[in-house]
Amino acid sequence: MLAENTMVTEVTTAHVNDRVCDVLERMRATKLRMLPVVDDAGIVAGVISTFSIMENLVPSYIVSGDLNQIPYAPDMGILRRHYLEVIEKDLLSVMETKPLLVKRDESLLSTAAALTAFGKHEYALVVDEDKRLIGVISAGDILDRLGTMVESAENDA
Amino acid sequence: MHNTEHVVSSSVIFGFDPVWIAVSILLLIYGVIMAEKFNRAVLALLGAGLMILCGVLNQQQAVSGIDFNTIGLLTGMMVIVAISQKTGMFQYVAIKAAKMVKGEPWGILVMLSLVTAVFSALLDNVTTVLLIAPVTLLITDALGVRPYPYLFALILASNIGGTATLIGDPPNIMIGSAAHLNFTDFLINLAPIIPVIFIVVITVIWFMFGRDLKATDEKKQLIMQFDENAAIKDVPLLKKSLFVLVAVITGFTVAHTFHLEPATIAMFGAAVLLLLQSWGQPLHDKDHAYEGIMAEVEWTTIFFFVGLFIIVTGVEHTGIIAMLGEKTLTMTGGDLAATAAAVLWVSAIASALIDNIPFVATMIPLIQSMAPTFGGEEALIPLWWALALGACLGGNGSLIGASANLIVAGFAQRAGHPIAFLTFMKHAFLLMLLTIAIAHVYLYLRYLS
Repeated sequence: MLAENTMVTEVTTAHVNDRVCDVLERMRATKLRMLPVVDDAGIVAGVISTFSIMENLVPSYIVSGDLNQIPYAPDMGILRRHYLEVIEKDLLSVMETKPLLVKRDESLLSTAAALTAFGKHEYALVVDEDKRLIGVISAGDILDRLGTMVESAENDA
Repeated sequence: MHNTEHVVSSSVIFGFDPVWIAVSILLLIYGVIMAEKFNRAVLALLGAGLMILCGVLNQQQAVSGIDFNTIGLLTGMMVIVAISQKTGMFQYVAIKAAKMVKGEPWGILVMLSLVTAVFSALLDNVTTVLLIAPVTLLITDALGVRPYPYLFALILASNIGGTATLIGDPPNIMIGSAAHLNFTDFLINLAPIIPVIFIVVITVIWFMFGRDLKATDEKKQLIMQFDENAAIKDVPLLKKSLFVLVAVITGFTVAHTFHLEPATIAMFGAAVLLLLQSWGQPLHDKDHAYEGIMAEVEWTTIFFFVGLFIIVTGVEHTGIIAMLGEKTLTMTGGDLAATAAAVLWVSAIASALIDNIPFVATMIPLIQSMAPTFGGEEALIPLWWALALGACLGGNGSLIGASANLIVAGFAQRAGHPIAFLTFMKHAFLLMLLTIAIAHVYLYLRYLS
């Protein structure tokens, strides 16, 4: 079984020229937490996720562990200040530039292995030889496919 | 360190003159320490071992060369600081200071520098910057200003503040112990010039960065929303720590009256605070707490000192340091003012470029060897102040000049605002020279004119 046989082809994307606030609005509307970022030709430039936006909200000196207990700081005030800055940024400065890519003829086993090893992304982007986005494939899609296979095998028996 | 007998040994070790063996070990170990490729404590202990194995010193001479007053004072203060820092008092004071100036960016820079200088004088500058620098990053982030001017000021303030007292900086502990100068001596002789140096440095920093530090009212308001009371993690421990800290500092000021060494005061204070901090806890918890605190003592630094004392004793034993002392006196014409100036400026430049602890360890016997020329140990006093001012303030000359500098640079790096070595030196070296010039004038007017 190949990735192209299981992937979802109707994909909501973000454009490289979008701002973070545009993408957040689209994420809220579609209830998606991760969008592929493509250019005019549909070539993948990266992915934008709620996680990568959050990474930009939290100052690096807190992430590094130098200040892990800060009950005295006005947390919502500081987060709000960063939020207002981040939503005005271009997507290019916030997105992840190394998404998980698989080719259309990749086997489901290796796609599943890649998703497990990569860890932090909900789905892999399926691309053609020119890195043009043709679909996405998630762990849920693979599990659904397996479930359908088992069901139909049982029905046949 | 207290060995005043300088005799060039006539014995031959492995066919070599012991002078060459001792100097070779010293230069080799100092060279590798400067290269920063190996742990400095391991290197110092290796050098100390070589001094004994090569026959420069015997076991007894090596042990008697270790200055246990310095070791005891350092260890005692490390224990007290390790317990005190758990209370959150450093963060409390830093936030309180920032709110006192209503969140004004320049006022915050001055207040955080002042807090750092005072804590560095009364505790130690490494712990101070370790706890103040992260809060500084948080405050500058809330203000939306560049953290570099604040971190730059913090580094300078920590080394300036540390110069003021016997316990502020390791070189002062070493000098105080070797020259029998007590806490009050340092307070009377060094502390008066420190506020002058601090004010001059802060004024220069204002001209360098101050005018660009601006924040909106909304961001200043964010500073006022910090809750300093939430920084205090353990009120009973805070009270115990403050009690012991005040008692220890009072003890330092009166110790000489009772013929007590500062190390005795510090170690006793550490033992009392260890006892108090776990008072009423089950035995198992107490043991666990003691082990935790002991693990926080910087044993690497302590063993570095032990090894260093033995290496310097070995070199001193061969008489080479006395010879260098005589050469220095020949160059300065045996004039006290010229010698003090040489000690001050050479110490400052050297401390900016190399670790000031081994430098001071070597300078101490060299200055001691000059006593007969100047008419006894009492006459050396200006030279000790010159060494203390040069070695401590010199640490501001570069990013590698003092441990506190490197710690702040590490925070800046992790926060995504790295401090470039040359950028820092461009700003700091001239400022350091200015502080040394002020110290020179002070020494001249007070002791040498």
